[in-house]
Amino acid sequence: MSKLHDDEQFEFEILADLCGVDTGTEMWAVYHLWSPRTPDWLRVIVPGLKRDDPRVPSVTFIWKGAEWPEREAYDMFGIIFEGNRDLRRIYMPPDYTSFPLRKDFLLADDSARSSGEGFRHVEQMHQPAENMRQPVIRMAPQLGDNQISTLSQLPEESEAPPT
Amino acid sequence: MTDAKTEVRSLDDPNIWVETPATIYDAIPPYPPRTEREAEFYHLRDGEMLLNLGPQHPSTHGVLRVVLKVDGERVTDLDPVLGYLHRGVEKLCEVGDWHIAISQCDPLEYVASLFSEAMPVMAAEKLLDLEVPKRAQYIRTLVWELNRISSHALFIGWLALDLGGLTPLLYGFIERDEIVEMLAALTGQRMLFNYLRIGGVNRDLNHDFLSRLGDWMSRAAVEIEQETRLLNENEIFVRRTRGMGVMTPEMALRMRVTGPNLRAAGVPFDVRRAHPYAAYPDLEFDIPTRSEGDSYARYMLRVDEIRESIKIIDQCLHEMPDGPIMARIPRLIRIPPGRAFVAVESPRGEYACYAMSDGSDQPFRLRISDPSFWNLQSVGEMVPGNLIADTMAIMASLDPVMGGVDK
Repeated sequence: MSKLHDDEQFEFEILADLCGVDTGTEMWAVYHLWSPRTPDWLRVIVPGLKRDDPRVPSVTFIWKGAEWPEREAYDMFGIIFEGNRDLRRIYMPPDYTSFPLRKDFLLADDSARSSGEGFRHVEQMHQPAENMRQPVIRMAPQLGDNQISTLSQLPEESEAPPT
Repeated sequence: MTDAKTEVRSLDDPNIWVETPATIYDAIPPYPPRTEREAEFYHLRDGEMLLNLGPQHPSTHGVLRVVLKVDGERVTDLDPVLGYLHRGVEKLCEVGDWHIAISQCDPLEYVASLFSEAMPVMAAEKLLDLEVPKRAQYIRTLVWELNRISSHALFIGWLALDLGGLTPLLYGFIERDEIVEMLAALTGQRMLFNYLRIGGVNRDLNHDFLSRLGDWMSRAAVEIEQETRLLNENEIFVRRTRGMGVMTPEMALRMRVTGPNLRAAGVPFDVRRAHPYAAYPDLEFDIPTRSEGDSYARYMLRVDEIRESIKIIDQCLHEMPDGPIMARIPRLIRIPPGRAFVAVESPRGEYACYAMSDGSDQPFRLRISDPSFWNLQSVGEMVPGNLIADTMAIMASLDPVMGGVDK
């Protein structure tokens, strides 16, 4: 990344996007880079992060502005960016324990799913909290791997240039 | 349910307040700091105190909470706390089909929602490798530029409002109301238009829209002059914006600021020019740039952009081709597997989307990157050293929309 940013051959000085992806079997960190002077673009994918302990080096030493997106990817996917000085949850409350954008996190209401695609699941019932003042922490239902929708084969790179 | 819930307690009972435990949402966390940065921020040196701003503060443009560390009247550090408007739009997009994703993305940027709703549309078109009809491209460009003007007009009003002037806000709303009414005649909605479709647009231009547009175009330039004349050389306005929140080009790239804020810092980068889309390759327009990088430059740059947008609208109307407004695609659409990255230039900067499809009728992953989110974090570098009263002025000059920041 440092080389892509600094080298005069590349000069990808604009970080167009930074995001996490859960393919169902593994985690990715995806970076899109732009050059301010040429119409070049580049997609950098860090594949094969382990689902139980995804770790990837932070790019905040190049783009300090990557701090919040990395926090977002940590919040939504649990990807740990080593070197980020402020890796807290950014959207969800600090006492939240699950990672909402992971594929094994199912929404309580899946009626929006079209018929024939995807799957239905039984909502996990919560025990009523004894003390209502305690926050109710909503955990992702623990389901087997066979119920997680996965990309069976990773899609090919689209050939068209970015618009 | 336990009895404690149904028990009626008197408000005079002092214990009713004491019982509520101190929560983690308080300014000073009772838990040990979790990160290096948090430990640094919540460690108060001599004479420093924490000041909470928001989330329900009239000048935070939505539900943004900022914890300021102040030394007297000067802000020494700040910690924005996000998430009060988080709806999980990316997750909701994954459980609906591609058409539902359009209306899910609509309220992200609620001031200029035609840009955020373009994201799933353009991503799906790119994955389908679909050619959008020329007329639909021109209509899109036309409504985008109208929306850009309405957003910028409102920005000018908000900025002045945060500096204590009420009148420019009213002028800003006059412009915005005209445009919003005209878009309502076209799309049927005033705010969340839900107008773009995969393969084209929802409705063709109609007489009501065109007559309103022609009427407005004949006096738009004069009205913009009128609105900005209140501020351009207003001494209070100039003194509170010039030299405030200065952003150098290096800092803007490092903080990954985009849009008018980046161009006000002197980097001539515009997605419409660098990675053209829709009808922009055919149109002639300039990319205004300023070199100062302060709040005043950001304001003036948006005024210049309004003028450029009027030029673009003029060209769109003159060169509007005939033809269909929708490509021929099935109503229930399956997007072929693939990955696509699309970006448009919204009034706040680069609106980008990274879409992955697994071949079904639902997005596998729809990552939406909102410019307000990226721009807002640069306040951490711009605000420290300024007065508390200028915090909001600098923040307003970045023009964040909390619907997009919190997604």
